[in-house]
Amino acid sequence: MSVSTDELISEITGIVAEELGVPIDSVSPEADLRSVQGADSVKVLRVIARIERARDVELEDEEVFGASTVREVAEVLQRALTESAAV
Amino acid sequence: MTSTPLAGQRPGDVAPGARPGPGPTANGHPPGPAAADHIGLPWYVLEDYRCFGCSPHNPHGIQLRFTHHGDGLRTVFRLGRAHESYPGVVHGGLLGVIADEIMGNLIVLRTGQIPFTTGMRLRYVLPVTVGGGYECTARVRDGGAQLIHTESEIREENGAVVATATASYRTVSLDAASDRMELDAAQVDRLRRALSAATTTAPTTGAPTVVAAKAPAAITDRPEESHVRVD
Repeated sequence: MSVSTDELISEITGIVAEELGVPIDSVSPEADLRSVQGADSVKVLRVIARIERARDVELEDEEVFGASTVREVAEVLQRALTESAAV
Repeated sequence: MTSTPLAGQRPGDVAPGARPGPGPTANGHPPGPAAADHIGLPWYVLEDYRCFGCSPHNPHGIQLRFTHHGDGLRTVFRLGRAHESYPGVVHGGLLGVIADEIMGNLIVLRTGQIPFTTGMRLRYVLPVTVGGGYECTARVRDGGAQLIHTESEIREENGAVVATATASYRTVSLDAASDRMELDAAQVDRLRRALSAATTTAPTTGAPTVVAAKAPAAITDRPEESHVRVD
């Protein structure tokens, strides 16, 4: 199963908007997650936890905390999905 | 808001919460509301089993009780200072115990087999507060002949996620597992009947299909080496 980065960005954007309580249009792929209005480190972790549950994948902490934007999180997720598919 | 009110308990000085039962709780507090909806675990036929997670007989344990929750299970808890890490914060390892406990018992009820944890992973989102009310739910993600994969979620009373867990289990028949337990033949017999009854009374609507695995020799022979490893 191959998912494009754009699809993952769209999915993550929806989760971010929901968790932070902001309009989906206000979250751009390049937005720094921790600087979005209403964001804090806990909410970002909730986003990560939801992504992991939704996608049945475990993201590495080093990568999670190294990712700042929606696009970077999507790239981390895509790598994890690719790796889990290869197992 | 889904947690059960904790009658007669004060924040900060109680161990687990919402553990309705026939007598006082482990710390001498009055029992909670009637336990009609709590699941009678197969282990209850062992009059003095001491599981740290789910036994009502272990005064040092957390005495979790479970209810059906969709395809899975749910428990509510409220941990006190005996389970503290930083001041006012519940030790994170206890969340692993709770998640492992609910996921393991879910497999027991679905398969009638004895699960051994082969791996567990926790995602900590927010510290858990001493005296705070929380709920933990669990469901089976998929089950095959080799491993059963489960997931669990711990939430505040208002619904905010504080931790998630995923785990994998290998199931072992009671006959194989009993070699590593201190059970006499009569207890094994009682437990076998209870396990069988538990699986026939579990809800089946929409429940995931879990294939009970025959224990491989390596696990059967050395279960302690694969049990409760927290990654």
